[in-house]
Amino acid sequence: MPAPPPDARSFLAEITAIEPCGADAVLLRARPERAMAPIRASRFFMLKLLDGTSPLIPRPYSIYRQRNGELEFLVKVMGQGSRALAAARKGQELRLIGPLGNGWPTLDGEGLPWVFVAGGVGSAPFPMAIEQALAGMDGRAAVDPGSISLLFGAANRELLYDLDVLRSTGVRVHAATDDGSEGWHGNVIELFEALVAKGELPEEVRLLACGPDPMLEACSELAERRGLECWLSLETVMGCGVGICNGCPVMTRPEGPLGAWPNAKCCVEGPVFRADAICL
Amino acid sequence: MADLAVTLGPLSLRNPVLSASGTYGHGLEMCHFTPPERMGGLVSKTVTLRPRPGNAQPRICETRAGLLNSIGLENKGVENYVETILPDMLGADTVVFTNIGGESVEDFAEIAARLDREPAVDVLEVNLSCPNVQGGKLPFATDPSNAARAVEAVRRATSKPVFAKLSPNVSHIGEMAQAVEQAGATGITAVNTLLGLAVDWRTGKPGLGTVQGGYSGPGIKPVALRCAWECARSVSIPVIGCGGIATAEDVLEFLAAGCGAVELGTACFADPALPGRIVEDLERLLDEAGRASIRSVIGSIRDGRGSSRDSAHAQGVEAR
Ligand SMILES: Cc1cc2nc3c(=O)[nH]c(=O)nc-3n(C[C@H](O)[C@H](O)[C@H](O)COP(=O)(O)OP(=O)(O)OC[C@H]3O[C@@H](n4cnc5c(N)ncnc54)[C@H](O)[C@@H]3O)c2cc1C
Ligand SMILES: Cc1cc2nc3c(=O)[nH]c(=O)nc-3n(C[C@H](O)[C@H](O)[C@H](O)COP(=O)(O)O)c2cc1C
Ligand code: FES
Repeated sequence: MPAPPPDARSFLAEITAIEPCGADAVLLRARPERAMAPIRASRFFMLKLLDGTSPLIPRPYSIYRQRNGELEFLVKVMGQGSRALAAARKGQELRLIGPLGNGWPTLDGEGLPWVFVAGGVGSAPFPMAIEQALAGMDGRAAVDPGSISLLFGAANRELLYDLDVLRSTGVRVHAATDDGSEGWHGNVIELFEALVAKGELPEEVRLLACGPDPMLEACSELAERRGLECWLSLETVMGCGVGICNGCPVMTRPEGPLGAWPNAKCCVEGPVFRADAICL
Repeated sequence: MADLAVTLGPLSLRNPVLSASGTYGHGLEMCHFTPPERMGGLVSKTVTLRPRPGNAQPRICETRAGLLNSIGLENKGVENYVETILPDMLGADTVVFTNIGGESVEDFAEIAARLDREPAVDVLEVNLSCPNVQGGKLPFATDPSNAARAVEAVRRATSKPVFAKLSPNVSHIGEMAQAVEQAGATGITAVNTLLGLAVDWRTGKPGLGTVQGGYSGPGIKPVALRCAWECARSVSIPVIGCGGIATAEDVLEFLAAGCGAVELGTACFADPALPGRIVEDLERLLDEAGRASIRSVIGSIRDGRGSSRDSAHAQGVEAR
């Protein structure tokens, strides 16, 4: 029975800053009541405001940055829950549950180069992935900035959150927009193929992807077609984040590494899965 | 500090705070959030004879005052439960309730017999009321004679205490309570979820994959409280209250209505450490109110009827 991670706690945090980011998102910073150990990129927290009017059920958010004892989240306004978070004010209290989930695999500098594929707010687990890969993870060799390419796609340039910040990390950043307002005019999968065709990306790479379902399906299909290792960070509806509600099933492949059971729990067995372990 | 210990028929609980089935794992998964030794009891997710993969997505959908779910009793079946969960439960310092589900009387009998051999299981809670199987037809939840047959079958198959978990989706829950009492239930859990539905009128898309599902959370509390009260005044076996409980005040209201203990469900999703926090709050509230024992609250509702032994005296005095 998958249990929540042993380091996960339910605790309070005070909101220290909320700043707009892109056309429809905010960066929310919060200071937990107790200091936290470094968190692996693509792990997440369940967030709920304690204002008495916000939705009952907390909402899952990837850790976006962790610095100076504060946790930062990139929150795109979708519906009730995210709207409440975006409208919160400095000094308000949040309940956080986490850190939850598994996070990215070890991003090592010893094998093939890495290509990070982000769609819209699916960029959230990548700033820390870049930071941790460049610093070296789990005692493995650090990744050279030249061996990380971030392919960041969105509908338009206003939805390429923190693009300048990502560019300043030194990794290769390629933008793609549906309306052509920034970078490649088209989607990230076409961009990937174009970069490979031009020789700007090697044919053999390892893929990480986070974004809308159609993008993840396309990535998974691309990986299968080209025989590439591919990891996906999934979003499902989540009621609890800790494995107790059974509300977040991900369909597993019958012969895959997750075993014979038809569902995996996205919150405790993911959110990161090998693309060949699941059915999208 | 106030004494939180309660009894439920043959069971002694250190406090009246239990988890509700399907909202706190199968076993000890939540022990980092509230240690088992702080809880009155732990109730497993419904275990069925055979594995059930559960329903299609989306399985949960929030509404303004609660949550709709259509999980569909996803579980790996009783053999897996016995092999992978129960070994850890043997050492757990709390009362272990295993919630069982079935689609037929025979299913109930077989699973109860299988678990009767397991020393880690202290109590069987019979889920008569899951709305998420058989297309929401509630075969055992709405007909007192069906409910009685299921409980009788479990009663015959086990020597362990048997609690029957009832559905609020009936006109007279008191009749259901009496039927399961006569069938030999040790106690009653009231209630499971209410049937509910959500739909987006713009797209016509229902909130749940199964269209209808079970409604839980703060919105159902007054309904659940009334159901628990009706059960408590209809039978002489103990009643565990459940439905929309989110604070220590809520717990004490269910006790006042005649419950001997309570189960916390949906509220744990917003804070998995809630059971432990509520136990602390109960101690504080009772101390502030100058109550030496939580038992003095049980059945203290002034409904013109002494519904519980503990409160009979207090009622006799105060009802004048
Ligand atoms: C592990 C994990 C990490 C996440 N990290 C982030 C993050 O870092 N930043 C961020 O902004 N979001 C993130 N999300 C998504 C975020 O949790 C949802 O956007 C949020 O729960 C929406 O809640 P709401 O109440 O605002 O919208 P709701 O009222 O629940 O939904 C409003 C509308 O948006 C749709 N919707 C909701 N969620 C999604 C989704 N994930 N994809 C597509 N449509 C959706 C609904 O179907 C509905 O139509 C993450 C999700 C998961 C599972
Ligand atoms: C996601 C979810 C899953 C549930 N699963 C079960 C279950 O497997 N068996 C059961 O008897 N009740 C189940 N329930 C019902 C709860 O145990 C409880 O009776 C109900 O939710 C009302 O209490 P609450 O308002 O505190 O949640 C489930 C409820 C929810 C929200
Ligand atoms: S979100 Fe509740 S089990 Fe995964």
